[in-house]
Amino acid sequence: MTFLSIVTHGLMRRPVRTGLTLVGISIGIAAVVALVGISRGFESSWESGMKSRGTDIVVSNMGSALTPKPFPATVRDRITALPHVAETCAIFVELMSIETAEMMIVSAREWGGFSWKNLKVTEGRLPRDAAEPAVVLGKTAAEVLKKKVGDTLQLETEELAVVGIVDGGAVVENGSVILSLPLMQKITANEGKINIIDLRATPGTSKEEMNQLSAEITRLIPEARAVIASDHIRNSQAYKMIRAMSWGTSLLAVLVGVLGVMNTMLMTVFERTQEICILLAVGWKRRRIFRMILLESALLGFLGGIGGVAIGVIGVKVLETTPALRGLLEADLNVRLLVTAVIIAVVVGVISGLYPAWRSSRLSPSHALQG
Amino acid sequence: MARHGQTHAPGNGEAGDKLMTLPNGGAGCVFEAIGLKKEYDDGQVRALRGVDFRIEQGEFVAIVGQSGSGKSTLLQMLGALDHPSAGSLLYRGTSLAERADLAAYRAHEVGFIFQAFHLLPTFTALENVQIPMFETHRSVSERNQRARELLKLVGLESRQHHFPAKLSGGERQRVAIARSLANGASVLLADEPTGNLDSENAALVLDLIVRLRREQNFTLVLVTHDIGIAAQASRVIEMKDGRIVSDRQNANPP
Repeated sequence: MTFLSIVTHGLMRRPVRTGLTLVGISIGIAAVVALVGISRGFESSWESGMKSRGTDIVVSNMGSALTPKPFPATVRDRITALPHVAETCAIFVELMSIETAEMMIVSAREWGGFSWKNLKVTEGRLPRDAAEPAVVLGKTAAEVLKKKVGDTLQLETEELAVVGIVDGGAVVENGSVILSLPLMQKITANEGKINIIDLRATPGTSKEEMNQLSAEITRLIPEARAVIASDHIRNSQAYKMIRAMSWGTSLLAVLVGVLGVMNTMLMTVFERTQEICILLAVGWKRRRIFRMILLESALLGFLGGIGGVAIGVIGVKVLETTPALRGLLEADLNVRLLVTAVIIAVVVGVISGLYPAWRSSRLSPSHALQG
Repeated sequence: MARHGQTHAPGNGEAGDKLMTLPNGGAGCVFEAIGLKKEYDDGQVRALRGVDFRIEQGEFVAIVGQSGSGKSTLLQMLGALDHPSAGSLLYRGTSLAERADLAAYRAHEVGFIFQAFHLLPTFTALENVQIPMFETHRSVSERNQRARELLKLVGLESRQHHFPAKLSGGERQRVAIARSLANGASVLLADEPTGNLDSENAALVLDLIVRLRREQNFTLVLVTHDIGIAAQASRVIEMKDGRIVSDRQNANPP
């Protein structure tokens, strides 16, 4: 018999209570995994979307909304002449409810701009010109909307033809409805307005030069802000809010887990008062009792962490296949996040066990003679 | 009585491997109580009202008295399970109050046998006997081996993998006796060890304790209200209302 087997005995003497506590911690940790994984996934899929469009710098005003604020399309003219600017593409992105889908990314691009060029047509074709009342659908968007080439798509009051299905190389692109900019401006009554300028730098431009270019654009255009594509989503107020909310909600769930474990460990100490006193009476040092309870609590946290990671990963995978979220969700469940979640769970266990462990180590061995 | 400046080997456990020099008290003096008092509830309950006695090495002392006479409180003091309110209690010439590590004293110097056995229910007999050994440097296999030997000593080698719930009262107490000897204590403190047993098992357990004392020469302090059990002791201390009312040698212990 080892010290660890004594610790596991302690947990197994009330299997139902231990099980319920494990479920409690697991749900908290699953929330951490799911929410943080989803918000990070949002960040990385946005980044890969930028990369697949070939964008180096994004000019927009993210504000606190999920989509950028519109600004006059003429702003673009102030950028194009700047050094290191190879080409630009005006874009209007909106989140819209389309037919059966509650929220879809609708991405309208300047006709002929480089953002069209990375779309691989898997079925049908691209619109013939900027005026054709047509859209192409990212392959996931087509699945979500249950559309194929030749169908029509109701966008606000306009009925548009689905002329092609495309592979955009990133979740954001594949989950989008893509159309020409003038069409979108007309449909949403935003004539002359855009909300993003994608900018491609000349080949060989260094990161430092791109930073300088971004700063220069931001100085020239008070209506918007230029950021390197990879930093774009991280700097958005909306994303910062999403990230804060995901951590906030996670921490709240973890706090509930802390209280659950603490309650269980306190109950354990109350129930085992005499047993602990017997251990003291037969010569166990107080710090061994302290260690025993703390280790029980940490083990509870560790097992809850493993369970939470499993539930979180499975839950996210289920969410990703939900029809309402397909194409919008690509969680980033990297090993670092999963290990961090387990570490959080162990820390939860240790913190929750500190008071019960201290309390148990303060008991008097004289209680062993009572009862 | 006191034999000053001599040495004594307290037991065959880890602490017992070292000889201790006695600055005071005799080589054979295990406990010396001087004006020992214990009060509870801010003095409203006076469990011990000034107790003086000495217990010598190898003695079998029975402490008798009615409920509330203070005999169990006295046993708690001897086992360092509680602190006296006043007076002093010396163990082999050293005040227990001055000992820095009372847990080590409980682990290595004394063994406890409780009326209600107090075995840990989720551990087997073999595991229960190993519990005190976690405060030694014995390895897992050494602990296991020692526990097997002790269970054999109390006649329970065939019941070592049974949980306490599957053992009879007498068997449970025998496991508790084995546990009390785990670290080679030189003093055994027994609180009504047969109080929860039928007469047949009580006799078996008492015989076992007496036999082990004779073989291992440990000091035995046994609290009981059973005059028949007390008659087996070499000395009987009678308590009443927190005081010793008589302290006599048994002329012819069996």
